[in-house]
Amino acid sequence: MPSVTIPVNRPVDASLREQAARMRDEFRRQGTLVVNIVSSPGAGKTTLLEATAKHWGGRRRIAVLVGDIATDRDAERLAPWVPVRQLTTGGACHLELPLVQRGLADLNLPNLEFLFIENIGNLVCPASHDLAEHLRVVLLSTTEGDDKPGKYPKMFRTSQALVISKGDLLPYVPFDASRAVEDARRIQPELATVTVAAHRGEGVAAWCELLEAARSRMLALSPAAAK
Amino acid sequence: MHEESLVRALLNAASDVLKNAGGVRVLSLRVEVGPLSGVERLLVETAFERLVDDTPCRGAELLCETPPLVVRCRDCAHEFDASVLRFACPACGSLGTRIVSGDEFRLIDVTIVADDDAAATAPLTADSEKPTCPA
Repeated sequence: MPSVTIPVNRPVDASLREQAARMRDEFRRQGTLVVNIVSSPGAGKTTLLEATAKHWGGRRRIAVLVGDIATDRDAERLAPWVPVRQLTTGGACHLELPLVQRGLADLNLPNLEFLFIENIGNLVCPASHDLAEHLRVVLLSTTEGDDKPGKYPKMFRTSQALVISKGDLLPYVPFDASRAVEDARRIQPELATVTVAAHRGEGVAAWCELLEAARSRMLALSPAAAK
Repeated sequence: MHEESLVRALLNAASDVLKNAGGVRVLSLRVEVGPLSGVERLLVETAFERLVDDTPCRGAELLCETPPLVVRCRDCAHEFDASVLRFACPACGSLGTRIVSGDEFRLIDVTIVADDDAAATAPLTADSEKPTCPA
C-alpha cells in the first residue's frame, strides 16, 4: 500500500510544556520563585503555607494559588495572612497550566518574590503537569506511612524537596523518617528534606531558608532580576 | 486520570500531520509510553479506541512502544537502565543523574496514505475490520 511515514518525535503535551517553560523563564526574570506544593489530601499543605506567611510576617512579597476540587475553604484559611486565589477544578484531580494562568490574572500582583501553588491533594496526576514552577515540593505526613515514596515514584522523582509534615507525631506513629528519606532518595537522590510541625511553627524557619536558598540560586542565573 | 485528554491531544497532533502533508487517511500512529511517563498504556489504548473514529484519524491503528527508563550520570556520563527505580549512578555512586528517556508519552511518527489515488486502493482499516451496516 503506498504510504508515507512522517516523523514527529515530540511529547504529546509538548505545546503545554513549551508554554510552561516560557512562563517559568518570565517568572525568573521577574525574580518570582514559583513553588508547586503537592501531597496526598490532608498532609498539611495549607497549614504549611499559613505557617510560612506568619513566619515571614510581611517581609516577603508572596501570594498563593490554591487548588481544590470543591469549596474555597483553603483560600478562606489563608486569606488573613497572604493574598490568595482559589482555583476550583470542579472534579479534576490536578491543576493544569490554564487554571494557573487564570488565577494569576485574577490575582494581578506583579513583582512577587514567591508564588506558591497549592495543588490538589493527590500523589499521582499532579506529577505529570508542569505548572511553570521552579521548585516542586512534596509533603509526606508522618501519619501516611514511610513506604510511600517508592509507591509514587513519578511524584518523588519530579520533586526537588521533601517536607515531612506532622513531625510532632513521630513519637506516636510507626513512621521512620530516615526510612522515608532513604526510600525517596533512591528515586530522587538530590532531594532536599526538612521536617516540620507547621501548626507549632517547628521546622518552619528551616523550610523558609530552603525557599530563600532556592530563590537565590534562581536569581544567580538571572543577574537582571537580582539587582 | 488524564489519559483521555492526552489521547485527544495525540489525535489532534496526528490530524495536523495528516492535514499539513495533504494526506487523505492516517494508517497508524507510533507512540512511546515511558515507564515514568505517568501514563498507563492500557488506558491510552482504550481511550484511543473510543475516540479515534470521531476524528480525521478514523480507522488508524495505535502502535505503542515501551522504551526503557534510561538515566545518565552528570559526573561520569555513564548511562544505565533505572527501571528498578534506583537513580544513583551504579558506576561512580554520584547522586546527580538525569533521565534521558522513559519519562514521556511521545508521538514518534504518523503513517498516512498520501493521495486520493492511493486511498482508492486502500480500504479503511476500520471498515474492513468492523461489520458494515447495509444502506
